Amino acid sequence: MAPDVKEKRIGDFVGRACILYSMSKVIVVRYSGGAQKKGLSKEKYLSLLGVALTELAGEQQVEKAIRKYLPNGVIGIKTNCLARSFNSTPTALTDALSLLLTQAGFDENDIIVWERTSHELAKAGYTLNASSVGRRCLGTDAYGVGYSRGFHTSGEVNSLVSRILTDLVHYNINLPVLKDHSIAGLSGGMKNMFGAINNPNKYHDNNCDPFCAHVNNLEPIKKKNRLTVLDAVKVQYNGGPGFVSEYISYYNSIIISDDPVAADRIGLEILKHARQVNGLPPLEKVGRPVKYLKSAESIGLGTADTNRIDIVVLVVDKEGRQTKGKLF
Amino acid sequence: MDRRMFLRCLGCGAAVASASQTDLLPEFLGGIQNACAFDFTKKLSSVEARYYKKLEGGGIECHICPRHCLVTDLERGYCGTRENRGDVYYTLVYGLPCAVNIDPIEKKPLFHFYPGTTALSIATAGCNVNCKFCQNWEISQSRPEQTDNLDLPPKELVEICASKKVPTIAYTYSEPVIFYEYMYDTAELGHKKSIKSVMITGGYIEKEPLADLMKHLDAIKVDLKAIREKYYRDIVKGELKPILDRLIQMKKSGVWLEILYLVVPTLNDSEAEFKELAQWTKAYLGTDTPVHFSRFYPHYLLRNLPLTPQKTLETAHDIARAEGLEFVYLGNLPGHPAESTYCPSCGALLIGRRGYRIYQNNLKGNRCDKCGRVIPGLF
Repeated sequence: MAPDVKEKRIGDFVGRACILYSMSKVIVVRYSGGAQKKGLSKEKYLSLLGVALTELAGEQQVEKAIRKYLPNGVIGIKTNCLARSFNSTPTALTDALSLLLTQAGFDENDIIVWERTSHELAKAGYTLNASSVGRRCLGTDAYGVGYSRGFHTSGEVNSLVSRILTDLVHYNINLPVLKDHSIAGLSGGMKNMFGAINNPNKYHDNNCDPFCAHVNNLEPIKKKNRLTVLDAVKVQYNGGPGFVSEYISYYNSIIISDDPVAADRIGLEILKHARQVNGLPPLEKVGRPVKYLKSAESIGLGTADTNRIDIVVLVVDKEGRQTKGKLF
Repeated sequence: MDRRMFLRCLGCGAAVASASQTDLLPEFLGGIQNACAFDFTKKLSSVEARYYKKLEGGGIECHICPRHCLVTDLERGYCGTRENRGDVYYTLVYGLPCAVNIDPIEKKPLFHFYPGTTALSIATAGCNVNCKFCQNWEISQSRPEQTDNLDLPPKELVEICASKKVPTIAYTYSEPVIFYEYMYDTAELGHKKSIKSVMITGGYIEKEPLADLMKHLDAIKVDLKAIREKYYRDIVKGELKPILDRLIQMKKSGVWLEILYLVVPTLNDSEAEFKELAQWTKAYLGTDTPVHFSRFYPHYLLRNLPLTPQKTLETAHDIARAEGLEFVYLGNLPGHPAESTYCPSCGALLIGRRGYRIYQNNLKGNRCDKCGRVIPGLF
């Protein structure tokens, strides 16, 4: 679970506390084929995921890379289907990831694609399946699922957590879409976990800070989330979390990390850049500074400081050839 | 739900309620769940909400309560029951109660409002605050898709009251402000059919919607949870000031008003606070406003605290009486003498209560049978 330690340094005295820093690793894999208005195909996502996972894990084979983070058991894939078919977690990405999991030896039925409600999944194009055959796909509101009996608490957050996460899966892959958020400023992996609790509406004050951090610090979420795969193919750089077509930027990438804070931090850089090149004011100027990432770092969830994030950008072309690239 | 089945169940004299978990709200269930199979609806309503403003540049600002949630497309307000869809704000709980029950009016508690009668009591999911002691948190802190809801539009509620000879509808259990439209339309329709309406609320509502609503209400009981702003901020997740303003507004309107103060050990149980509460009530609402001090039971996020000691409640009672309040009651202490109503002039027992049951009623109309003093309220 802990990020790979590439570099350690002693420094930054805060009061009397001495902080031991470790580098977090974020992989950004871009597809070089130009704007993909209909999104990427499953095959293209397969290619991007393979490159991203092996690079992140430092493995040659995708299967080994997957097993490094997900050793066994039932795997959850938490989607973000709020924007329906317009800009939700693409089915092509979920299908590609599921295929890699089965190739790594997981039974199809041990993969659960999930969201807070089944109808949101259906509206985003997913085929619901709660049976014992094939990949499962269901909302927390599905019959017999619901929320945990007991509360999970962190800071001011007191919530029931989806039983899909607490009871049904051993590990979870967070599979959100990179978006602006009208209150939080950023909707990435951490904000996506609002869809795992029973009372997200209670935690939007103060730009969701520190609530978003504490939601991710709830024990089942913190313990079971192993990977964040942030879909940044179509970036909603303004007007989110709903879909507003005029504010879509085609970044054609996925962002992957085992550090949920670092993944979002790099997502934020991309969002900020898209706003800048499209002539929009910074998020801070429009009343939605992304404050919760620092709060998340302060409670040990990951790294929010880009100086301590090892960013690897790779570009994959139509033929699957990969080269080193730049973030922008 | 099948209406015939619903009516039959009410005819059993039992309660109907449901939420996401079967052991929820045991006081409402009355064993009926085992007797009948209910068909709950999974649909959410899409009735346009009232009291909101569209914002330039997108989004809406909700004006139903002082929280004034700013809600953008596909998001919900703090209550979890109102959703922005394309900058039209919708209530998702119109006609969809998750708790329905026939209660004694004393359970609300309303002690000066037709004692001994019953009220068809309803609630939907959701709340605009998040009290750490909430006894109904399973519904108040849920979103409507997380509860099992009945399909009971205003017309059906009023018909049930008429057919079952229930004189009053009570909007209660969670926070009726968040199902304002449903409550308003039911209360308005009810008045046309001589069915009364009472709101059991935290009072966290804006001035204008309250003023409009009170035209169709007969009584309000407000849970004044503390007399200190800090308590509201830390324990309730709300604000005190607007609630005090609304209490004054309610009193001035002439609608019957009673207050309940839940005494939570170590958090709002000091003698200074009891005194402050009594003095404020006397100054702004009058000595004839009934005040109920109620015993706290550990619930929700305050399971670490003990029951309120009886002595603390009696202290609160004595302080309030000494400050001049004429009708001070103690709640959740079945059998205690302070459950009953006494004449402030001659001290005679007027209404004897034990729990929710009335064992004696000596009122003559609205007067003391001994000295003839007029007792405030609706009798």
